[in-house]
Amino acid sequence: MSILAWKNLLHDRVRLIVTLTGIVFALVLIAIQFGMFLGFLDTAANIVENNSADLWISAPGIPHVNGGSPIQESKRWKALQVPGVTRTANFAIFFVNWKLPNGAFETCQIAGFDLDSGMGGPWNLVAGRVEDLRGEDTVIIDDLYKTKLGVHKIGETLEINGKRARIVGFTHGIRSFTTAPYVFTSFKNAQNYIPMREHETIFILLRTAPGANLPAIKTRLLATIPGIEIFTHDEILLRTRNYWVFGTGAGTTTLMGAILGLLVGIVVVAQTIYAATIDHLKEFGTLKAMGATNGQIYQVIILQSALAAVMGYVFGISVALAIVGSTANTDLLIKLPWPVALGIFGLTLFMCMSASLLSIRKATTIDPAMVFRG
Amino acid sequence: MQPLVSVSHLVKEYGSGANRFRALNDVSLDIHAGQVLVLMGPSGSGKTTLISILGGILSATSGSVRIDGREIVGMPESQRPALRRDLFGFIFQGFNLFPALTAEENVAIMCKLKHVPQPARAAANLLESVGLADKRNAYPADLSGGQKQRVAIARALAGHPRILLADEPTAALDSVSGRNVLEILSGLARQNNRAVVIVTHDPRVLEYCDRIVTIEDGRISSDELRRHIPPTPGDIA
Repeated sequence: MSILAWKNLLHDRVRLIVTLTGIVFALVLIAIQFGMFLGFLDTAANIVENNSADLWISAPGIPHVNGGSPIQESKRWKALQVPGVTRTANFAIFFVNWKLPNGAFETCQIAGFDLDSGMGGPWNLVAGRVEDLRGEDTVIIDDLYKTKLGVHKIGETLEINGKRARIVGFTHGIRSFTTAPYVFTSFKNAQNYIPMREHETIFILLRTAPGANLPAIKTRLLATIPGIEIFTHDEILLRTRNYWVFGTGAGTTTLMGAILGLLVGIVVVAQTIYAATIDHLKEFGTLKAMGATNGQIYQVIILQSALAAVMGYVFGISVALAIVGSTANTDLLIKLPWPVALGIFGLTLFMCMSASLLSIRKATTIDPAMVFRG
Repeated sequence: MQPLVSVSHLVKEYGSGANRFRALNDVSLDIHAGQVLVLMGPSGSGKTTLISILGGILSATSGSVRIDGREIVGMPESQRPALRRDLFGFIFQGFNLFPALTAEENVAIMCKLKHVPQPARAAANLLESVGLADKRNAYPADLSGGQKQRVAIARALAGHPRILLADEPTAALDSVSGRNVLEILSGLARQNNRAVVIVTHDPRVLEYCDRIVTIEDGRISSDELRRHIPPTPGDIA
């Protein structure tokens, strides 16, 4: 019976194109909407995700990592006295004004980190060296934002909050969720750009001994240092993501877009597969009249939809990957990791087969007069 | 001589209450192997209902239908596909071929359904038997009406069914193709000891049949035996 499923699908080219177009459209919609949502999650907290600190100390009640306020740097030394803490470092993220060559301003975010510990430093460096940030007024930006920030090459100088800044390197693919790109520099340089007093920092990053009990260390730190909030890596990641995803209209919109993409995709696939199955209703009726069991008819219908799902997936995921690839060098991040691609395959199979099941009842309860009268 | 098909006091009603409609009313009929029986009657007289019940596709309201000794009235739905598959070959007015399959595949799929060994070879032999050996790779869309109906006959013959049920098999055919199809069907009844039941309005069929049963308003209004069929070893003892 498998030959009937296969040839039913391939024989009518126009119907095949219509069916596959429906599936491909739905898949691309789902893949891109979810890819954008995943990219959104990634971009919203990439500065945390790529930070190797085990614990973060901040001022109490910060809404997200980009919303910190200054705390006394001296808390570092108190933190170091807590058993299990092996290293501390200052870290600052702060919105600043970047003066363009034409005199206009762009907002960007200074990420000032401790060069010795490396915690909070840039990743994906494609030009220059992190060590070059030891020089005065030196910064590294991402090459995706060269045009936005009016930068062409290493060595160019611009102004941040009225202070000189010299480009010493470029990263690739460090996108910012907000419209303000990250500008990496040493914490020492950052103190010049950020309006905070001497001996202040935004975060204190802690590294702990391997296998250390982080909740226990947190408790001891809170008992030792008043007026702070302490996060593990996952806690500040979650707070930042939750803020941008659920606390802003933009995040909710993207999430709704992903959910709507899924719903629209399901409806399109269901309708396409249902129509493709109903097209062959007379044939299923003939099979039934001539002695095929309902099970054998189910087999043809399900196999037909599974084949359509596989073909649609191959085309759909190819188109989605091409779209993802085309955004690689833009500030829009669409992520399509293989587990998601695999999940979409499972979803496609499920959608197609479920839709075909809707038509099975019609196929197996055909009026016999229909079979005889053609 | 025991009949291959024995219908006794058959009633079929559609609907319920005030909308109840009796499509077949106390129909009794015996059909013997080797016999070509033609069912005639105006549209809506109950011919298609009768052939549907004979073929195990539709359930009767009451009465008895014994096929090859098996009572099928009241037979559970789960047993009907096997009955249809093992005892019947169906030929439809609109051919009902699978357009995506070649002539040979159309026949082979039925051979597979009926568990015929080497279905492709069996299909090729059946097509040869209806004079279509050279059309085995043609799709239905590339065949004439007569050729399509001959493919449908070859398909109906898969698994050597004892009874062929044909619904208006010549309605869509020109006179030459129609006669050709009728010659094949009558030959199948006589040479292979099958019962062939043909529902038709086509007067061309009459010269090939052994018996004409006319149905009007759900009842048999006439039953004319045109040719006596001698008992054969294929009949039930």
